[in-house]
Amino acid sequence: MDTIRVVIVDDHALVRQGLIRLLSAYPDIELVGTAGDGKGAITMVEEKSPDVLLLDISMPNLDGLSAIPRLIEASSGTRILLLSIHDEPEHAQAAIARGAGGLISKSASADDLYQAILAVSQGKCLPPTQPLTPRERQVLALINAGKTNEQIAESLSISVKTVLRHRQRLMERLDVHTQAGLIGYAKRIGRRRK
Amino acid sequence: MGLIRVILGDDHTIVRQGIRALLDSAGIKVEGEAADGRALVKQVQDLAPDLAIVDIALPLLNGIEATRKINRLSKATKVICLSMHNDKGYITQARRAGAWGYVLKDAAAAQLLEAIDTVMRGNPYFPAGMEAAPETELERITPREREVLQLIAEGKKNSEIAQLLIRSLHTVRNHRANIMRKLGVHSSMELVHAAERMGLVRLEAPGITDEST
Repeated sequence: MDTIRVVIVDDHALVRQGLIRLLSAYPDIELVGTAGDGKGAITMVEEKSPDVLLLDISMPNLDGLSAIPRLIEASSGTRILLLSIHDEPEHAQAAIARGAGGLISKSASADDLYQAILAVSQGKCLPPTQPLTPRERQVLALINAGKTNEQIAESLSISVKTVLRHRQRLMERLDVHTQAGLIGYAKRIGRRRK
Repeated sequence: MGLIRVILGDDHTIVRQGIRALLDSAGIKVEGEAADGRALVKQVQDLAPDLAIVDIALPLLNGIEATRKINRLSKATKVICLSMHNDKGYITQARRAGAWGYVLKDAAAAQLLEAIDTVMRGNPYFPAGMEAAPETELERITPREREVLQLIAEGKKNSEIAQLLIRSLHTVRNHRANIMRKLGVHSSMELVHAAERMGLVRLEAPGITDEST
């Protein structure tokens, strides 16, 4: 049986060791290396040319998303699967646009993770859920900046009615139902873009 | 270590399963798991385990407040808090809430096992060199108000909060008004900011930038 050679990179040792133990239960997965930071990730990928790199998206001295091109350059045959504590379609989409196989949330189970590793190792991409439109993002950013509907309408040159419709749609798509819920989401997304 | 009964609270399934597998290989049986603070407290009440291992960043009821409740409801249960943050404020809060230990997710599994061993022998296990932090704005509101504030910041409606806390809508509105008055804030946005500042919710994603969008 052909094994899938995997490198795991996560800065939290406890999480990393847990992942190693979980994946070692699958006989067709062969763990060929681990690292706890960005430098280690690049070294590992260069040295081992794994089939799949499982990479935590947020680590000190490595921004998972912007490291993707460098990692692909280091080993063009390696498929990258990002791990994130949040399940946000924007990041999944950005990861795939940069050449990664996709993003999986840490809320997934070990079996989900295994299936995702199989899929990306076969060259597939994990489909992200529908991301927000640019206009929806603008509205969300303005809500987060504390703007009223009238101010948002003015600064985007659209009607208040349209703002209300965007707001309604945002709440439906993000499955949040209060102003505080929208702000919380906007803060999470916004902070990653700074 | 003798036979100890453990309950594990972490909202990320993979992380929870991983820690469970690590403990399992050290001969420690995890009897229950929970993905949020309320489910965790319920499990602890039902099973009265020897030990609860609790991530401090839990939804619905964060790990610090869950620790406070566990301490009150199940005297036999000791709590070890797990955290991404090597932060004096969090460590102090965990201590004050009645935790016996505090372990960083940065730490290796061996350290978690050492913490478990230490705590089960009746000794506290906290990171060295972390003296108590001064009182914070967190302590300006009551534990119940902190619960309500976390739920507001997580985007719950008043009616949902009432249901979760088994209180009337009227009581929830009163709590909300009291929180705003005590913290001197006037909008939903300021409430979310305050909840985040106090560490009741985690909205940050450190170290991530995405200049492509």
